[in-house]
Amino acid sequence: MLYDITAEIAYDYDAAASSGRHVVRLIPADIPGEQRTVVQRLSISPRAAEQVTQTDFFGNRAVDVRHEGAHDHLAFRVKARVERLALPPTFDVSARLKDLAGEIAQIRSLDAESPHHFLASSPRVADEPAITAYAKEQISPRMTALEAVRTLGRALHRDMRFDAEATTVDTPPAEAFERRHGVCQDFTHIMIGGLRGIGVPAAYVSGYLRTIPPEGKERLEGADAMHAWVRAWCGVDGGWVEYDPTNALMVGADHIVVGHGRDYADVSPVKGILKSSGSQKSSQAVDVVPVEGQRDQG
Amino acid sequence: MVARRQRPTEDTESYTAGYRPIPGVADELLDDRGVVRPAWRTFIRNLDRLNEAEIARYFARGDQYLRDAGVFFRQYAPEGSKERAWPLSHVPVILDEEEWRELGEGLVQRANLLERVVADLYGPRTLVRDGYLPAALIAGSPEWLRPLVGIEPPSGHFLHFLAFDVGRGPDGKWWVLSDRTQAPSGTGFALENRVATSRVFPDAFGRRNVLRVASFFRRFRDRLTDLRGDPEDGVAILTPGILNDSYFEHAYIARYLGFMLLEGEDLIVEKGAVMVRTVEGLRPVSVLWRRLDAAFADPLELNDESQLGTPGLVAAVRSGQLTMVNALGTGILETRALLAFLPRIAEAVLGEPLALPNIATWWCGQKAERDHVRENLDDLVIGRALSTRPLFEANQLVSKEAYFEKAGDGASRFDREGAQLVGQEAVKLSTTPVFLDGRLHPRPVSVRLFLARSEDGWQVMPGGYARVGRTQDPNAITLQRGGSVADVWVVSDRPVDAESMLPAPAAPYIRAEPGILPSRAADNLYWLGRYVERAEFVMRLVRAYNARLIETMSAEGPLMILLAHHLEGFGVEVEEGVPQGLLDVIGSAIYSASRIRDRFSVDGWTALNDLMKNAQDMRERVDLGDDAASAMGVLLRKITGFSGLVHENMYRFNGWRFLSVGRGQERIICTTTVLARFADPKAPDGGLDLAVDAGDSAMSHRQRYSVATNRGTVIDLLALDSLNPRSILYQLSEIKTLVSDLPGAEVRGQLSPLSRAVLQAHTNLAIETPMTLTTGKLIACRDEVMAFSDTLTDSYLR
Repeated sequence: MLYDITAEIAYDYDAAASSGRHVVRLIPADIPGEQRTVVQRLSISPRAAEQVTQTDFFGNRAVDVRHEGAHDHLAFRVKARVERLALPPTFDVSARLKDLAGEIAQIRSLDAESPHHFLASSPRVADEPAITAYAKEQISPRMTALEAVRTLGRALHRDMRFDAEATTVDTPPAEAFERRHGVCQDFTHIMIGGLRGIGVPAAYVSGYLRTIPPEGKERLEGADAMHAWVRAWCGVDGGWVEYDPTNALMVGADHIVVGHGRDYADVSPVKGILKSSGSQKSSQAVDVVPVEGQRDQG
Repeated sequence: MVARRQRPTEDTESYTAGYRPIPGVADELLDDRGVVRPAWRTFIRNLDRLNEAEIARYFARGDQYLRDAGVFFRQYAPEGSKERAWPLSHVPVILDEEEWRELGEGLVQRANLLERVVADLYGPRTLVRDGYLPAALIAGSPEWLRPLVGIEPPSGHFLHFLAFDVGRGPDGKWWVLSDRTQAPSGTGFALENRVATSRVFPDAFGRRNVLRVASFFRRFRDRLTDLRGDPEDGVAILTPGILNDSYFEHAYIARYLGFMLLEGEDLIVEKGAVMVRTVEGLRPVSVLWRRLDAAFADPLELNDESQLGTPGLVAAVRSGQLTMVNALGTGILETRALLAFLPRIAEAVLGEPLALPNIATWWCGQKAERDHVRENLDDLVIGRALSTRPLFEANQLVSKEAYFEKAGDGASRFDREGAQLVGQEAVKLSTTPVFLDGRLHPRPVSVRLFLARSEDGWQVMPGGYARVGRTQDPNAITLQRGGSVADVWVVSDRPVDAESMLPAPAAPYIRAEPGILPSRAADNLYWLGRYVERAEFVMRLVRAYNARLIETMSAEGPLMILLAHHLEGFGVEVEEGVPQGLLDVIGSAIYSASRIRDRFSVDGWTALNDLMKNAQDMRERVDLGDDAASAMGVLLRKITGFSGLVHENMYRFNGWRFLSVGRGQERIICTTTVLARFADPKAPDGGLDLAVDAGDSAMSHRQRYSVATNRGTVIDLLALDSLNPRSILYQLSEIKTLVSDLPGAEVRGQLSPLSRAVLQAHTNLAIETPMTLTTGKLIACRDEVMAFSDTLTDSYLR
């Protein structure tokens, strides 16, 4: 599928900021065999004093932006055309859960794709006994890793309520889980915690979701803002798979990847520090539209 | 001379008599046959010549020095932290030069090994690929900082300054207990211990044979200076700030080496270059000796909850324009579980075994190691694999019961959580003598040794920082648990020759140029000036109030009511003899001073703290009236002492100017307010005399005017007299001069906004006469002067 994506994150400051520095992760990724970014452009208003693009540890595109001089408004806007390739159907060649630890131990690598990065606690996903216990209740040790991913994902979708107002970007996963509600970020963090708790390496993916579903399909939750889902390692043969717990489905051609990391902290769309005394309001708008004239693959 | 003095004859025994090392443990003073080691002999011989009273007097000299120097430590307790006297154990730990040299060689080898390991972990990661280090261990550590992976430090080195905690085992050999690679502390304290111990023991105690430490610091300072990208760039020490428990040391080292002491907020990163905000604009810095843990250094790319860091610092490192000492990310080397792997890595990487072993450690993430730990449990302690704290710091050990209880699922839990755990052999530290109750007693000791890079590689500081147990339990050596500290002497068998002494005479570490004044420091100096002046003013008002209270025996008169209302404006309740509001003002002054301790004389700091302590003591017992009036007299003399120190000793440069502007401005604000209230034609009777008292000008008034106070004389003296330092006009002239000497006072012949505002206020007042200067005009003058702060902040302090 070919998509035209527009995304804007904007801030209004009560008191003008005298300077600011941000790291922006909004530009869709290039992933060989999965996703191709045909063209992309990040525009920033007001104009940045400095703008440097780098590739972070996990291979994500991160733009380092600095502003000087007073400004009371800041907006990052991405326009991109992205080809999302149809992913082949997944056969379950993943490892049995009980064998997974052994397979992980075989891997002597700290490269970006190594499962080792995604097993321990990370800044936003601490080891939460309640979430681990929940995950253990859902699965059986005889399952394959992929079965465990799907089972836990479905369970969370069943037991948690999507509520765009209930949590904020800083709500700890344990709290969202306790109340069984939240948005994609909460669903994703909780599922990551659960998977790690049962020994499955799990990562956080940040991206976009097709806004209007193909005909006959339901509109997905999280389509009008940045979306997030889970990436799990299912053994040497199973490799990485992606699952969207907010919508209880394996990730397919409707999901466009921006980047991934251990949790939200590694891939937050805009991370910033500014010198200002007042509070701020932020807004987000995302539009993901299939380019006219293609046959809808559903 | 001490050496010729005879000890009283009734007791000819040595203080070492009855000194009994613990069986099965090595001792620093006595060798394994119970004989005093050669390195200690001169010292003990001299000690034995003193009687107990003399020793007590000698020790007191060291304690006095530490108090005067303001050395203390902060003890943390559930009910809050407290400053405690620096717990110096006066008897140094004495090492033989030969032995120290061997120890040093082992540590240099270790430093080189650690450099190779950290370069690999942030580079090709072959140690993981080849199985020398488990990937899970590194990936799980919060100290392995992914944003730093792939960045090579511009100097070619990650490590520049290291500390190692070492202890001597029962077999007499030294062992490394912990590697300190992130931001090692202890050097400043080691220096202070050295100075204090030198006060205690004169040269005759064999100090002529003790290796000097100053050249170690000089060479390291030179090295840091050489690492700058450009000779114009600055070198600075980056501190987490005054809440850190070794802030004292940061300020001390900064003063000692002549480097700026900066906090994260002082810095800004532009196009990969780090700049410090100064009163003269941005100035480049290209070397930062950080005393801040890496995770807190940059909220943008590292710990986003950090309030202490500088956004963009990692970007500066990435651009190659900043040398961090040590590099960000080197904290990974402190990971306790690494001790399990370093011996094998040494063989692989250096092709030789570790010359100096570290304590035997087993990482329980692997089955064979888990089994070993399980089988040898009695000789081992269990700790956190990823802990980076030094070995003996509180809460390091994990209860064995949780994992090895007979019943329950302990065993399977150990298998499951093994990767989080290490087994380590239980350490038996050697003992060193402490002087207690008139004789020497053995106490466990660990020694921190320091290594720094110089032009020709690693150099080892010939001395160190010893920590000595309170009891014979080696776990009680930390300060938090009542341990003490001691100087470490490395003793040569001949007098130390001139070459290893300081090449330059007395004070080699003078700040090269006084120019760079960070904006934050200027801001704190300015507020220090304001608060000190305010405190002084409040004291005089409280004194005046209480003096009148005695005369009239009533707080009901209109003047008293007005004065009480006036004091309320300062947060002061007149019902209190020594009001809390006054203590708060002094507290604010101390807070401002504490943030600039590197630029502040020790005497000035002591004077301020002394003032506070006095005020606090008085608050407990002083009553209203006479008692309070004379208490204020005492405090006024103390605070004038502080002002005198500043006035007489402070270098007349930008820092002094900001402090003086703050003082002058506060004096004008206080004086105008008093005149507007108490010299107003409608003011209650006695208001004019009160204004003169508040302005501390009663004497001048008597000398200048042969009449009693009237509005004309009071306004003349306190507002318009250009020779009375208490007058508004005098202070405005002072501020005018100070401001004209500040950087950027004139830009291309144009006055700066601040210069213009000051000139305006000065001119407005200068043309007034006592007759024309109405209360309304006084208030207008006060408002003009108050507005200086904003202009000052805009121009210099952002």
